[in-house]
Amino acid sequence: MPREKSVAAGIVSLAVFLLLEAASLLMLTHNGTLQRLAVARIGHGFMAKTWGTTQRISGYFSLARTNDELAQENHSLTERLRALKAVAEVTPYDSLTAVPPDGFKYTSAKIIKSGTNSQHNYILIDKGSDDGIVQNAGIITSKGVVGIVEAVSRHYAYAISFLNTEVNISARIGTDGAVGPLAWDGTSTNRGLLKEISLHVKFAPGDTVYTSGYSTIFPADIPLGVTGDARVINGATNEIQVTLFQDYTMLKYVTVVENLHREEIESLTGPEKK
Amino acid sequence: MRNKPVLTFILFVVAQMLLTNYFHVGAYVVLTILPVLILCLPTTVATVPAMCIAFASGLAVDFLAEGTLGLNALSLVPVAFIRKGLVGLIFGMEPFEHKESISLKKYGFAKMSVAILLSLALFLVIYILAECAFTRPLWFLATRAGVSLLASYAVCILIVNLLTDDDRR
Repeated sequence: MPREKSVAAGIVSLAVFLLLEAASLLMLTHNGTLQRLAVARIGHGFMAKTWGTTQRISGYFSLARTNDELAQENHSLTERLRALKAVAEVTPYDSLTAVPPDGFKYTSAKIIKSGTNSQHNYILIDKGSDDGIVQNAGIITSKGVVGIVEAVSRHYAYAISFLNTEVNISARIGTDGAVGPLAWDGTSTNRGLLKEISLHVKFAPGDTVYTSGYSTIFPADIPLGVTGDARVINGATNEIQVTLFQDYTMLKYVTVVENLHREEIESLTGPEKK
Repeated sequence: MRNKPVLTFILFVVAQMLLTNYFHVGAYVVLTILPVLILCLPTTVATVPAMCIAFASGLAVDFLAEGTLGLNALSLVPVAFIRKGLVGLIFGMEPFEHKESISLKKYGFAKMSVAILLSLALFLVIYILAECAFTRPLWFLATRAGVSLLASYAVCILIVNLLTDDDRR
């Protein structure tokens, strides 16, 4: 019994000790700038380590799924390559221009941080200016648009995610349908809103939505999602709900696309708004 | 500290405030007697009340002297937390069994010095780390802690002499 009593007293002492230390630390961080910064730095470091570790663990357990996705993507790319080779064999290509036929340069990258919890989400990728990444390059996957590069350092690039209420991309219903701005709906990670579609345009729920290619940031015909319900806005245009193909919570590998003719186009039209 | 422990304690906390406010040895030397006040609390005071006393005294010094609020409290509570273990380790269980305070005359200079140095070291390490908030190099922190330890030890030995009665008297 005395032993149990002393253990209980020890636990109470420890609890009071932790409580008083926490109170002191709280007061200290409220009253000292240096201390507040130090605590914030330690907190951020701890969070970054925890976050990185959990990401590595979840990445390890989703390797099989990632492999399947890569294999599927590899298969579709091989098909596309075969088709393009067939076209190239009959089309003369001037190698001196050194610009790919679609005018876009593609660089693969890995996402090292991405958020989906706020209204202004962002992404950090492991490629920077040393890898040829430039500001305003697009970020895509085979399942849709991921974001737009906002700032670049030597080894990393910071991008605004498509899951950002300020981002609009030009999209088209089907491969030759109506074009309008597609934006995130701000609530769900797999839904967007295709806006400003004229009332006379006919479409059916389930139609595929692609990038229009009107933007200097993204190439045309990247599948983005499928149409859903629509509603009339101000009696003038339709706003169509789009279920996106890309699962933004599972993003790992992306492709950065740079329009090699961007400067030339923008010298005529002015810089493009996101 | 046996006859009027509360009054004596308050007097020495006031002394610490005066020491902090008016007695500047140097910008980088921390002169403190607070750990010794906690160490010399009567052995009848349990750990939890000792921690509360440490917290209140630390806050009082922070508030009334020119410290950052919470700094002395943060550094002093751990001293109160380990006080019982430290006294038991250095002086044995005798002070607790006889419910007597530790004193220089009874336990000798060497044992008291070890107890004072250990409690001061713990206090100063936390105090200096928290005050500098990891913005200074290690050599600077170590030098500051070493110099502060020696300076505070000299003051504390004098204080202990005044603070503790000889129980055999």
